[in-house]
Amino acid sequence: MTRFRWGMLAPVLAATGVAVGFPLAYAFYLSLTDYKLTSRGAPDFVGLENYLFVLSDARMWNAFGNTATYVAVAVTVQTVLGLAIALALQKQQWARDVTRAMLLAPMFITPIAVGLTFRFLLNDQLGAIPAVLRSIGISYDFFGPSNALLTLSFIDVWQWTPFMVLLLLAGLESIPRQPLEAARVDGASAWYAFRRVVLPLLTPVLTVAVLLRSLDALKVFEYVYATTRGGPGTETETIQFFTYQTGIQFFRLGEASAVAFVLLAIVLTFIVILFRRLQRSAAR
Amino acid sequence: MSTRSRALLSSVALTAALTLTISGCAGSGPTEDPVSSGLGDIPTDTEGTVRILMESVPDTDIVTELVGSFNETYPGIEVEIESLAFDQMRDKLIASFQSSDPAYDLIVVDNPWMDDFVDAGFLEPLDARIDSTTDYAPEDFFEPLVDITDVDGVRYGVPFYNYALGYLYRTDIYDEAGLEVPETLDELVSNVQALTTSDRTGIAMQPQRGYKIFEEWANWLFAAGGSIYDESGAPTLDTPEAAAALEAYIESFTTAAPENSSNWAFDEAFRSVSSGESASMISYNWNLPGLNDPEGASGDLAGSFALAPMPGGKQVLGSWSWAIPVNSGNSDAAWAFSSWITSSAVDIERVIAGGAAIRESTLSNASVLESGFGEDYYDAVIAILSDAAPLSQGLGGEEMIQAVGTELSEAVAGTKTVEQALSDAQAAVERIQR
Amino acid sequence: MTKGVNALAAARILLLSAAAVVVAFPLLWVAIASLKSPAQLNDPGLILFLPNLENWARVLEAGILNAAGRSAFVATVTVAFSVVAGSMGAYAISAYKAGGSATRFGILAAQVLPPAVLVFPFLTMAYALNINNTYVPIIFAHLSFVLPVITWFLIGFFDAVPRSLEEQARVDGFSRFAAFRLVVLPQVLPGIGAAAIFGFTLSWNDMFYGLILAPPRETILPVAISAFNTFRGVELGAMSAAIIIAVVPVVIASFFIQRRLVQGISGGAVKF
Repeated sequence: MTRFRWGMLAPVLAATGVAVGFPLAYAFYLSLTDYKLTSRGAPDFVGLENYLFVLSDARMWNAFGNTATYVAVAVTVQTVLGLAIALALQKQQWARDVTRAMLLAPMFITPIAVGLTFRFLLNDQLGAIPAVLRSIGISYDFFGPSNALLTLSFIDVWQWTPFMVLLLLAGLESIPRQPLEAARVDGASAWYAFRRVVLPLLTPVLTVAVLLRSLDALKVFEYVYATTRGGPGTETETIQFFTYQTGIQFFRLGEASAVAFVLLAIVLTFIVILFRRLQRSAAR
Repeated sequence: MSTRSRALLSSVALTAALTLTISGCAGSGPTEDPVSSGLGDIPTDTEGTVRILMESVPDTDIVTELVGSFNETYPGIEVEIESLAFDQMRDKLIASFQSSDPAYDLIVVDNPWMDDFVDAGFLEPLDARIDSTTDYAPEDFFEPLVDITDVDGVRYGVPFYNYALGYLYRTDIYDEAGLEVPETLDELVSNVQALTTSDRTGIAMQPQRGYKIFEEWANWLFAAGGSIYDESGAPTLDTPEAAAALEAYIESFTTAAPENSSNWAFDEAFRSVSSGESASMISYNWNLPGLNDPEGASGDLAGSFALAPMPGGKQVLGSWSWAIPVNSGNSDAAWAFSSWITSSAVDIERVIAGGAAIRESTLSNASVLESGFGEDYYDAVIAILSDAAPLSQGLGGEEMIQAVGTELSEAVAGTKTVEQALSDAQAAVERIQR
Repeated sequence: MTKGVNALAAARILLLSAAAVVVAFPLLWVAIASLKSPAQLNDPGLILFLPNLENWARVLEAGILNAAGRSAFVATVTVAFSVVAGSMGAYAISAYKAGGSATRFGILAAQVLPPAVLVFPFLTMAYALNINNTYVPIIFAHLSFVLPVITWFLIGFFDAVPRSLEEQARVDGFSRFAAFRLVVLPQVLPGIGAAAIFGFTLSWNDMFYGLILAPPRETILPVAISAFNTFRGVELGAMSAAIIIAVVPVVIASFFIQRRLVQGISGGAVKF
């Protein structure tokens, strides 16, 4: 029994050890050194110095805050929109396959291409969208101060709402008909049926979707890289972009590794808290 | 201990052991000081492959076209050119240094990295080679370009092409408004404001945070009489001249630049000018042929653009240099190619094809002057290259540029005052380049 | 009652139409841009014009199809391995509660690490083992974020398979592995399909690892597309053509796959 169990687990453990474990361990080792990409010979061990520096660096916390805002806005909008679209798709009678295929398309475009496309689509002189807005008298600097982060969130919404639609549609289609029928027989309104019957049954899928998407959104890099390069000022400097600049542009890979592990610690804590809360409510 | 815990423990131990072993390879780049064969004149029967990593710019295309000609002199040397966009190229270049196995035999180095690469021992010193190559005439290179290859008195590269900036403008619009090319900072501001009408702006600016905004603004700084560093190499960004320059920059941006252009970089500005929506821009001198190309983005407007030095006569310069990595697979062959392509005769060919010049003699050569981009263009380039300075000096060049570029962006966005932004920029540079 | 239903129906149609427009608009814009000459690209309002196929010629010449092929190759290998190893592992985790519930969420944490930090460890590994001219490093790098997601996803699917099925098979004389392969696995096949699609997308879209770890001169698709973002400016026309080439096959494929996708996920009634 045990041999079978370990035999089944072996491939995934081995692959994870090599593909995840080793780079993680190595990156952790680097985070404890003063390693620079322009270093000669083996780097010096500096213990927790990088961590102390990073934790007291306002720029890092700014990047973290920007990323958190970005994730919060993007994922919330995607979830609400995704749910609405999924509900609509579920009830749709005709041209189902075509609509669904088309609505899923944005997910499959490499993010750097999406970023570059929107950079020009939203360009005041070259882009179609500002041209349309101007015709109704609106002038808006999409990548300007106070707007840029929001614009990037909406690029995320454009590309990833289909992901939400997919998961939520699947969730909706797996909900048993019975409770809904019962509610309808009892005379409940559509809204009531949705709020009291559908939504609770959908909660597991919603949680999974939001979790998966949030973790992915945390890694936003290509949109920033393609459009604002972190500006105006430091408004769109996300944690990934910050890490990239620190580690690869400025060669300070030891420090960048420390940033990565601080991020990991924060996210893990968050996940554990979330998980505990869900376990408790599931038990109820 | 249960089977599970034991298995877990052993896999952790294994990973740890593996990590420590391979971590011994961290920073496994060169550990001794680099040496060079010092050979200048490479025999024409040399065999080998030269793998080059280059940035995908017009000048790289021109180099690629000249490889055939190179092979007539050196038939045994095979040249393989890999061409990537700037950021990708830099990332791959850095990655290639980590290996003791040669990845590239010849590279091009951007000026902000020069000091860092030399300090890291990545590059082969080239003094011996340069001095022993017959008829090479290294004194013919433009001085700012040579300064960039010189680190602590030793040359580590030879110039590939320059990207000095200049003022690109529409001659017809200027004539129509009865204006002359600006010669002072105030004239620049008033000109672009005067040229702004309801369907066109005076100047397309590039205030994107980071490299672009610093590269553009530094020209304004020079025009205001300021400088980035003083003679001792200390930063001088927090000066009255810098404040005047930044205020002028912001004023131009708010009154004479296209609406909603706070994130614009080269692309957007270039298209704005080539489509006629802006009358001028500050950009690399070799963009002029592109603007005047009837098959290019300008369409009907081709031919109406001209190039002038910046007001005040001093401008920002960037430069790429050929360099030989210490882990080059064939440094003699690499020198054969780089010395050939930077020789006087070949530089003339490069410039006729549209490349950016590196030798003074090239720009006064008769066949170059009559080749079709116009004498005025070459005169302007000579003027530009006679007084140009790079954005960064010393170690940490790239970080310094990004730091200043971020502060400037804050000032333009209005999140910091001009004084605050400049004083923060000064502090950042002092910290980075301590 | 009927009026309420009609209002809802109208809202539904409005929403779907709006969504279709929002999705299609940028794609159409890109498609049109790919047919414009450099001068025409300056004019966003230009819709009716004589199409120019130069951008397409350039892009195809530059080897974009080869880049797409390489991306597909890497993604397929990554996903194939992830599905095999992942389904075996997910089964064990589901059936034997191996690793406890903390593992289930811990797996996801690997997703959070920035590629910028992990890429150099991968590179060092590649140089040390002298495999840096092969596709092995990039495949392993892709495994680092595809394998956890696929495994995690499949755990939920295996959870949904009733134990009785397997027990019946064992009673009928099947070995444990045969029971897994012949009885349990077919139940989660739709789920595996869905997970495979996600994994493929993740690998297909990766630019960063591909840039540093791919064999020299063999670029993958996202890197090839971003190569149009040059110092002399973004080559909008060519890049647009490249984007269309990258998107169209996948959209066509998703037309056939989406039904399975939805079925697959709903069949698993994704749980945690």
